[in-house]
Amino acid sequence: MNAVIAIAMKDLVLLVRDRANAFFTFVFPILLAVFFGLIFRGSGEGSGGKLTIALVDEDISKSSAMLVTDIRADTALDVMVESGEPAVLLSREMGLALVRRGKADATIIIPKGFGAGAAGLMAGGQMKLEGVVPPGRAAEAGLLTGKLNELAFRQMTRGFGDPEEMKQNLNAARKALAAATNVSPLQKGAFEAMLSSVQNLSETSRKQRDEAAARGEVAADPMEAWRPVEVSITEVKADREGPTNSFEISFPQGVVWGLMGCVTAFGLSLANERSRGTLMRLTTAPISRRQIILGKALSCFIACVLVQALLLATAMVFFSVKVASWPMMIVAVLMSSLGFVGVMMAMAGLSRTEGGGSGMGRAVILILAMIGGGTIPLFFLPPFMQTLSSVSPFKWATLAFEGALWRGFGPAEMVLPCAVLLGFCVGGFAIGVWGMRWTTRA
Amino acid sequence: MLSLLELRKSFGPLVAVDGLSLEVHRGEVFGLLGPNGAGKSTTIGMAVGLITPDSGRVTVNGVGRPTDAEVRRHIGVAPQSLALYDDLSGEENARFFGRIFGLSGEQLRRRCDAVLDLVGLLPRKKDWVKGYSGGMKRRLNLAVALIHDPPMLLLDEPTAGVDPQSRNNILDLVRTLAQQGKTIVYTTHYMEEASRLCTRVGIMDQGRLLALGTVPELVAAKGGKSVVVVSREGAEDELIESDDPVREIARVLGVGGGVGVREVRVERPDLESVFLSLTGRSLRD
Repeated sequence: MNAVIAIAMKDLVLLVRDRANAFFTFVFPILLAVFFGLIFRGSGEGSGGKLTIALVDEDISKSSAMLVTDIRADTALDVMVESGEPAVLLSREMGLALVRRGKADATIIIPKGFGAGAAGLMAGGQMKLEGVVPPGRAAEAGLLTGKLNELAFRQMTRGFGDPEEMKQNLNAARKALAAATNVSPLQKGAFEAMLSSVQNLSETSRKQRDEAAARGEVAADPMEAWRPVEVSITEVKADREGPTNSFEISFPQGVVWGLMGCVTAFGLSLANERSRGTLMRLTTAPISRRQIILGKALSCFIACVLVQALLLATAMVFFSVKVASWPMMIVAVLMSSLGFVGVMMAMAGLSRTEGGGSGMGRAVILILAMIGGGTIPLFFLPPFMQTLSSVSPFKWATLAFEGALWRGFGPAEMVLPCAVLLGFCVGGFAIGVWGMRWTTRA
Repeated sequence: MLSLLELRKSFGPLVAVDGLSLEVHRGEVFGLLGPNGAGKSTTIGMAVGLITPDSGRVTVNGVGRPTDAEVRRHIGVAPQSLALYDDLSGEENARFFGRIFGLSGEQLRRRCDAVLDLVGLLPRKKDWVKGYSGGMKRRLNLAVALIHDPPMLLLDEPTAGVDPQSRNNILDLVRTLAQQGKTIVYTTHYMEEASRLCTRVGIMDQGRLLALGTVPELVAAKGGKSVVVVSREGAEDELIESDDPVREIARVLGVGGGVGVREVRVERPDLESVFLSLTGRSLRD
């Protein structure tokens, strides 16, 4: 065991003293994670989950002005009503262009006739609104439809609470009723009775408000109590919380690059020993080949743990990354380290020369990294690539790390990635010992 | 101490060692001579268990094979290529290989200082090896082979590529080790080194052991006669082979009182002559 530890400590010292290797193992992954974290930050964090809306008012009426005020006051929406320098009110074309260029999630258009439609609600009129979203954005479309219905209904109840406006609306309705030829006298009588009742309700509420005001009180608006539909929305707590910031995506990738640095550095160390002649000393010493490769494995394992710890600490201290589960994180770090130690041992055992090892490192490790989500996050890859990625330890290491970081993995969900990584470790060790016997045989 | 019996090793069609047998006695400095490619390094490789012979047997101390861990503790190897870590200091190299050989604590510290002192590197022990000269690296290479105080040393071309001063240092060091009772197997293609150091030498060529014995024995048996070279004014040198060069010189100088003779010198047979007579070519060919 003393010899194994001696080899491991010696290799770690050599790693740190080789500036290029130390840079690509410990510093480069952090730079990469920060770089990608900053790039990803532009997508979806700036608006804080709000819909960015371009609002076009083509009606320019009292009703449309009230609707614009309501929309702008809505906390779920980020509203643009003007654009350019000097600022001008958005036209329909400008609103559509903003959506097309991705500057707005949707455009709401209040078309001409909106105010007239609001006034004729009792006479079959309609408040028409238009919404435009980018292609394939069903979620935004649904959200926008719900939001516009809510705002229009608020507009309608406001009309009921204003007796003057209501009187005008009801008079317009009576005229339309009188002119209607397809309504029987009996039906006309019933409608007239209903319209009178609505007018009476509106005037009564106005009278109550005025009397209360004379007493210096504030009367409750009876229309406030009129809620034909009550919608109650609560948020369901997600089993798996998404990443709270882009660095929770980029730092697991940084970890992958750090692990790749370790594999490359230590995978070549046996070939280095061979070329500098020290392998001859080691193989003529009273230690076995297994001890030599175990020493390499131990140093690689320590470096893998260190690089992950360093990345995690950087992410937490400087980029507000939070760990969902510390026990799972410890498991993820240890298992990822073991998995990549396996990859390193296989590479070390099969590399007879530095050139060969370096070439194999580039070919195999880079391909595994690419298909395993090391260069592009897995969820951006097409489905067949996501399936193919299962052969890559990078996928499982990323999954385990993300599982502990923000996916909220429990022990049951952590079993699969950890088992696969352990498989890489055992398989890699076997290949490494066999390969070393083959490459040192003479 | 070291017994090689009928060793044979081929690499593909190339026969590197062909039926080599020899015995190295305890406390002697045994020189293995031969040109590059003669099979010396392959023989050393088989002697330390690094290369598996196709046939034959290697025995150390009369009991074990060099692949046995316990037997390896009795052997120190200084390979021809510098087997050192450039990014470690001289002391760190020695400490590392000491730990590999099972040393620790105070014993390890003492052995490190002892071997570094022996090779004259104690004052530079904290310096990284990459800052050492070629000669210093050679001496450290030797120090590392000595770290576990083995009774037998295998030194493969230990003076390769060093300046004359460092070479003399290394030769003095080997002599010191021999005086301490170490058994040393020394491969070289420098005959004067073998002549100065070795109790016995074996001469190899094309994988075969051509001759074995002390230097005087080999020279007497295979070196041929001494040559008396007579230089005269305005004439080519005269070469006279003789078993008794003193008598021959007396004869040359006696004739006419040595008039016209500018110089007389004697070229005695050496290991080069032995190799020439055995193979028909020079060691450095």
